[in-house]
Amino acid sequence: MDISILGGQMLGIIPLGDIVLYFTPFNLFMFAAALAFTTLIAISKTESQVEAEFGTLKNREVKVDKSEFKIRRFLAIVCGLATAGAMVTGDLFDFTLFVALIAIVNIGIVAAVKEVDVLDSAFQYGLIAMIATLPLFGGAAIILASAGTISLLQLLQIPNSTMILYGSLLLFIGVAGETGVAPFFATKAEMFRTPGSPFLLIIHLSSLLVIVRTIEILLILNKPF
Amino acid sequence: MTATVLVPSVVSPVVVALYLPAIFTGIIIGLIGLFGISYQKNDLHALILTDIVGIGMLIIVAAVGTDLAESLVLPGLVVELAEIMAISELLMSREMRRLGKTADLIPLPLNLDMEVLTTAPIFLAIILVAYGAFLSGFTGGAVAGGGILFYVLSRLTRGVPSNTWEGLAGVSGIAWCLWLVGFLIFFAFPPYWLLALFLAAFGVFIKVTFKAGLVGVMGREEFKKE
Repeated sequence: MDISILGGQMLGIIPLGDIVLYFTPFNLFMFAAALAFTTLIAISKTESQVEAEFGTLKNREVKVDKSEFKIRRFLAIVCGLATAGAMVTGDLFDFTLFVALIAIVNIGIVAAVKEVDVLDSAFQYGLIAMIATLPLFGGAAIILASAGTISLLQLLQIPNSTMILYGSLLLFIGVAGETGVAPFFATKAEMFRTPGSPFLLIIHLSSLLVIVRTIEILLILNKPF
Repeated sequence: MTATVLVPSVVSPVVVALYLPAIFTGIIIGLIGLFGISYQKNDLHALILTDIVGIGMLIIVAAVGTDLAESLVLPGLVVELAEIMAISELLMSREMRRLGKTADLIPLPLNLDMEVLTTAPIFLAIILVAYGAFLSGFTGGAVAGGGILFYVLSRLTRGVPSNTWEGLAGVSGIAWCLWLVGFLIFFAFPPYWLLALFLAAFGVFIKVTFKAGLVGVMGREEFKKE
């Protein structure tokens, strides 16, 4: 099987020693989407937002504290850059590290709101993310042990085996635990109604893009067709 | 390419046979941790039990046993530590908010009144820094940083000049840039590997050494010393 089946034609590679990045239209589109959203976050000023009041025709302006706002914006930008990195990396372990970085930063974004309920939710998400490092890194290590390489371009040429299937199942569970469940915990704390919350959408965007990219990687690993 | 994984003949078959038991050990440890978390109602205990699951992850990664696996253990450990620190900080912040109190980042009274802190700091610091320079690299940086930290601790009781620590923090940043430049040279111009090696080794040495400088800056802010 060829990478071009999954992502259109191969546009080029960047050989950085052992780590080889490769570009297909599929990867580049997701990379550009993540970067564009990150740029929007970096240049927008969402510290004040206007809410419609209930029962009257007036509007109300809600402001968020400047220092809290700065931290959340910084974390959201880091999350966007890590997502963009996870989209184009051609190395399995790089991918898992980007996913782990997204998880840590997501904990920070959720925990930046200083309310007991939100912090409770962030704590539970943190526990899930920590537990999920076992299947995430463990899956990558099992794939490394059974294939002998973690470069995706090399893994393309290695035939299927049971251990690779097992490792990729673990990897999928790990990705689901690290970033896949993040939107649920952000929603559980009703964070979208707190002021300055447009940044939170980066949690959803990163979760979606990382899951899509994970499916591509699992197809590369297991070659079902 | 064939599917056979190359295991060099120098590796003894006992080591190769240990791979599957090691993976099962890691997964069983993870399951034990998860059972513990499911019984546990105390948040702090749940956090500590979660760390056991992380150790299971390290066992599985280390079971591969190649030099590549060694380079994967370190990021895994760092991720694990970063997450447990973030979550414990979060737990503290939540409990403080629940109680309605605030606490210092480092609640140190710092009433260290030992004789060794007044008589020997410069001598010990110089020995540690010199030994660290001899080691170079990450280990040397840690040793030399220990020396500078000791010096800071002994001086802190008498007051630390603030300019010194800001300067140290700046030098630390520049040394970190050297380290990054060294790595870039490794990737971009492999023939100049010796230059890259020395840039990286001494960059990380100076960087880790002056990490203590940041501790000093924090100390100034925390304890309001001159």
